[in-house]
Amino acid sequence: MYAKYAAAPSAADLAIQLEALLGQHSVLAADLMRSRIRGDDDFVQAANAALGKNTAAMSALVAQLFGQATADKFSPMWSEHVVALFSYAGALAAQDNAAKEDAKKDLVEYEQELGDFFAGASHGRLPQAAARAAIVMHVGHLTGQADAYAAKNYAVSDELYRVGYQHTYDLGLTLANALLPAADRATLQQPLWRLRSQLGKLLAEHAALVEDLTRSAVTRSPDFAASGDMINGNTKDITAAIDTLFGAAAARQFQSLWGDHVEQLVAYSSATADSDKAKQEQAMTAMSGIEKKMGAFLAGATSKRMSTPALTAALQQHDKMLMKHADAYGAKDYATAHDVAYDTYQQMFDLARKMADAFGATVAARLPRGGAQTGFGGMAAVVEKR
Amino acid sequence: MPPYARLSALAALGLVLLAVCAGGSPPAAVARSAPAAGAPATGSDQPAEVFHSTRTYDEVAAPVRLRIPALKVNSKVQLLGLQHDGTIAVPARTDVAGWYEYGPRPGQAGPAVILGHVDSQAGPGIFINLYRVPIGTPVTVDRADGTSVTFKITKVTRVPKVQFPTDLVYAPTLDPTLRLVTCGGSFDPARRSYRDNVIAFAEPA
Repeated sequence: MYAKYAAAPSAADLAIQLEALLGQHSVLAADLMRSRIRGDDDFVQAANAALGKNTAAMSALVAQLFGQATADKFSPMWSEHVVALFSYAGALAAQDNAAKEDAKKDLVEYEQELGDFFAGASHGRLPQAAARAAIVMHVGHLTGQADAYAAKNYAVSDELYRVGYQHTYDLGLTLANALLPAADRATLQQPLWRLRSQLGKLLAEHAALVEDLTRSAVTRSPDFAASGDMINGNTKDITAAIDTLFGAAAARQFQSLWGDHVEQLVAYSSATADSDKAKQEQAMTAMSGIEKKMGAFLAGATSKRMSTPALTAALQQHDKMLMKHADAYGAKDYATAHDVAYDTYQQMFDLARKMADAFGATVAARLPRGGAQTGFGGMAAVVEKR
Repeated sequence: MPPYARLSALAALGLVLLAVCAGGSPPAAVARSAPAAGAPATGSDQPAEVFHSTRTYDEVAAPVRLRIPALKVNSKVQLLGLQHDGTIAVPARTDVAGWYEYGPRPGQAGPAVILGHVDSQAGPGIFINLYRVPIGTPVTVDRADGTSVTFKITKVTRVPKVQFPTDLVYAPTLDPTLRLVTCGGSFDPARRSYRDNVIAFAEPA
């Protein structure tokens, strides 16, 4: 009821949402290409619908951040590069080298157009060469992961999947730094905004990767081991972030609980594949215990800046969404699976924002006060003249 | 791709979206294709049995030595905590650097902070020339596990201690940075303290 009095989101807020949408674009585009390679056309269509939703959300954000005229140019250009990526995957699926070369040519064209568009919109802050290089890298990650996937080299494919996500997420900051006014750019460099962006990247990636792993578990697909390595890489990165904020002992405690959480989701997905209700229940009971322990752990780490019940509820919602995703995917209800996956990614990004604020405030409360007394005055005559 | 072809391709994907929304069958543009050579086959292992979450991560070791050849600095690194008044402790010797041990370790995600004295009561300290360290100067930190990490100076600033930018120096981000801190400015004999701090900001080289 107070919505109309709520402050409009700041440019910095919109910028980190753009980062999240760009990262999501990368995983959705990769998923679309992989399903095209598998010949899994139902999945292709659901992935395409999710990509369309992502592009629409991104265009709306671009309009809010950089103006409607910029968004009107951005939207069709962005959609065209998705089409070219789709064509590239189609050529890989058909093992049609001529079509692959055609798609590559189109992609090069769009890379230049998109790069030039962003460089132009930045009024010189983003050099044309740098803008083109960023888009070339984005497309390279996506085509590279598709090439490797088609060649059944899942380790390389998944490595590029992760790197592609991270690069595209960070592209949001590059664009914001190029296109926003100086005051907004300075805000984005403030420690709290950096932490919001960085935790958002890690935790939203967790949602995307755990979905990839559970999809693989439900279908017993041969990329399961590589997908497991991928989520483990993300778990290590999140744990390292906890170490930075709360120290090594807390990080080890966190990792133990987080690792259990991922394992139980895999156990649930595996039981889903076997229609084994007893094992599903077993995994759900274990997850419930982990949610409570993790809620208590994070509440303690933040000196109750986030409450145990609120955290436990948020983690419960996360697990429920992931189980619903696995159920839908197992039932080949790809439209629902993609809808849930889309919302799970956003939920985790939103939770990361709350955590970043609580974590940042907790650490700030114990930082040293004032300056350092690192001098005794023996060289004052020299030092004072500087 | 010529404009008409782009429109056709876009229309094809657009139609897919419409078909999904309307519950219709996919259009010819994405007609069902035979699985490619890379299409996954069904595996036989139980995922729940073969997957194990990682229980380790890349823990960065504590710093043991600081090297800044351009400033002729090559020093052991002492661990520093907090004093009773909440200010940061300082190195016990003026020729030895100190690392704030409740913050990130150098090379770990986050801002690591190393302090050094500008002088003693009788002569120069280890960071006597920090104020003039050139941008781009390499700073290397050796760690307890035998590894090392090199940073480069990006900015040097002098600020009054009463306006010390705690946020910019210590506040957590996940950027693996380094801050070197010493004293500068005029000396207050009554307080036996310099009025300013010199801060050098550094990023991974």
